[in-house]
Amino acid sequence: MSQIIIEQGCAQYCPPRALTLIQAVAMKEFKDNLRNRWLGLMAGILLILSLCVSFMGSAVSGTVVLLESAQIFSGLVTLAVFILPLGAILLSYDSFVGERESGTLLLLLTYPLARWHLVCGKLLGHAYVMITACVMGFGTTVLLLLAFVEEHARHALIIGFIHLIFSGILLSLVFVLLGYCVSLSVREKAKALGVLLLLWFVLVLVYDLVLLTALVSLAEVFNRQLFNLLILINPTDLFRALNLLANPADSLSAKSSLALIAQTGMGPVLMYAMLATWIGLLGLLASWIFSRQEV
Amino acid sequence: MSHFSNDARHKQALTLMTNEASSQGQVAVKAIGLCKRYAKFEALTDLNFELHTGQTLALLGHNGAGKSTLIKMILGLVSPSHGELFVQGQSLHTKRPNANLSLGYLPENVSFYDNMTAQEILSYFARLKGVAPKRVSILLEEFGLMAAKDKRLSTFSKGMRQRLGLAQAVLADPKVLLLDEPTVGLDPLASAFLYQKMAQLKAQGCAIIISTHELGLVQDQMDSALILGQGRLLAAGDLSQLRAISALPSQLELHRVSPWQYQQLISLPLFASLQNHSSANRVCFSVPDALKAKVIEQLHLLKIHEFSIAPASLQDIFHHFMAGLNRPNASAVCSAVGEEQDQRELVA
Repeated sequence: MSQIIIEQGCAQYCPPRALTLIQAVAMKEFKDNLRNRWLGLMAGILLILSLCVSFMGSAVSGTVVLLESAQIFSGLVTLAVFILPLGAILLSYDSFVGERESGTLLLLLTYPLARWHLVCGKLLGHAYVMITACVMGFGTTVLLLLAFVEEHARHALIIGFIHLIFSGILLSLVFVLLGYCVSLSVREKAKALGVLLLLWFVLVLVYDLVLLTALVSLAEVFNRQLFNLLILINPTDLFRALNLLANPADSLSAKSSLALIAQTGMGPVLMYAMLATWIGLLGLLASWIFSRQEV
Repeated sequence: MSHFSNDARHKQALTLMTNEASSQGQVAVKAIGLCKRYAKFEALTDLNFELHTGQTLALLGHNGAGKSTLIKMILGLVSPSHGELFVQGQSLHTKRPNANLSLGYLPENVSFYDNMTAQEILSYFARLKGVAPKRVSILLEEFGLMAAKDKRLSTFSKGMRQRLGLAQAVLADPKVLLLDEPTVGLDPLASAFLYQKMAQLKAQGCAIIISTHELGLVQDQMDSALILGQGRLLAAGDLSQLRAISALPSQLELHRVSPWQYQQLISLPLFASLQNHSSANRVCFSVPDALKAKVIEQLHLLKIHEFSIAPASLQDIFHHFMAGLNRPNASAVCSAVGEEQDQRELVA
């Protein structure tokens, strides 16, 4: 479709398309994180920790040998479930409240930029950051591991890492969007960070413990289906369950407390769809909060 | 105290500006019965005005008078509770996002992105407006930022930031430029630069709305002003119309007057009736416009030829209207503005 060219005074320009606007905002966010070394830091942390888990994980048992794929993945999933949401929160907590404090949000909204363009642009930019960090961090680890594992284990390793990276990116985006919702709802950066850290604490650390305690103590009255549902409502548990079920290393799911999920018949595809639904719902929520605000 | 009832004032505002319109360009911004209400607080009440292309409109008023609310309404960021607002002939209600292409805006105290360079910032905003990249270089050159284009904004002075802000506002060669306190915290040279640029844009047909407290600076640049107080329009018009509305006297200052001449002067019934502001070093009287001719005649009769008569300044007019507001800090506002003005004049 041809675009209308507007002539105003001596300048000639085209009203930008939605995708151009979203991409412009996304590239600005990506470059910001590249410039302030956040991207390098995140990738570095993921790389160092995943290398430690993969190559030094056996040190606690008194030996230094390469762990089995299932044990490596178990460690990496536990690592990712802590680090990725935290990283995503730190990436997104000031996305809107920070721009509001500096006055640039007001300025941006005077541009031919709809509010959902801004939400999508920022999300895309932060997705670029998380994709780069996950691919660099976990990708380098898998390349190194491939050199050490036996031929028959390589396929499972590659598949496992693909699931880990892909679901890790989706999990990060869920927390990035949670960050947007909070960032749009509060008036101070410090408050946004505080609320998000509390959310991280509840979703990542407390939620599972409370559920397991409830299951153990109320085993007779607790409906198993309800338990499974409550686990899958939490995106971090969804990520954990997805990686344990999708991993070709059979021994893994059997060892996990989340093995019960396997009995529900839910496959990785459905779990990916649930993570994507989380992203869609939170994206809509963030856009809705933003659209209701007067600046 | 205001000299007009609300209706009369609003009709007058429209009439004054519509009369000017016949000899000027198209209507760039038009407000009809504009109101904004937040819960129990009325931010703007029944505001009517028109601004034409190539004109500068000064928005004057105390803090919280409704200036920024009006600017945000024109930008489409705040919806009016009642009334209609047209920008470039397009109603705010039906305005599409692309209508913002004809608007340029410089917010108050915008800090931009400290970790980006001037060129990166302008390029970013240019992409968002669909402006060709070559325009960025032209503007950097035009606003004297070419030498600093690769420096991060954190190293910029306040003046450089405001120049960058104005460059950002004129990226798409706007038809309507909105400036919210553009000269706050700037030194006289930086302020002069901004006003010089504003004059150039005005000459190119850009309609400018400037919200400011620096009355001395804006007085020579504006074509008309809206004086707002507590969300209401207190007065509107160009400087001569504002003087007429406020009915403020001119200030007569006599130079080199001997004590004998001064005694003779104040013994005259005409001068005795005038408000005398004389001090040890200055001989000053307030002269209502109706008496101006008689006063000059009397001075010539007394062989006093060295004198000056200055009409009321924008600052005097502003003080006059603010003093009429029933606000606990109205006098404080007036004195604060006055002090700021005095300091500027001293520096100049």
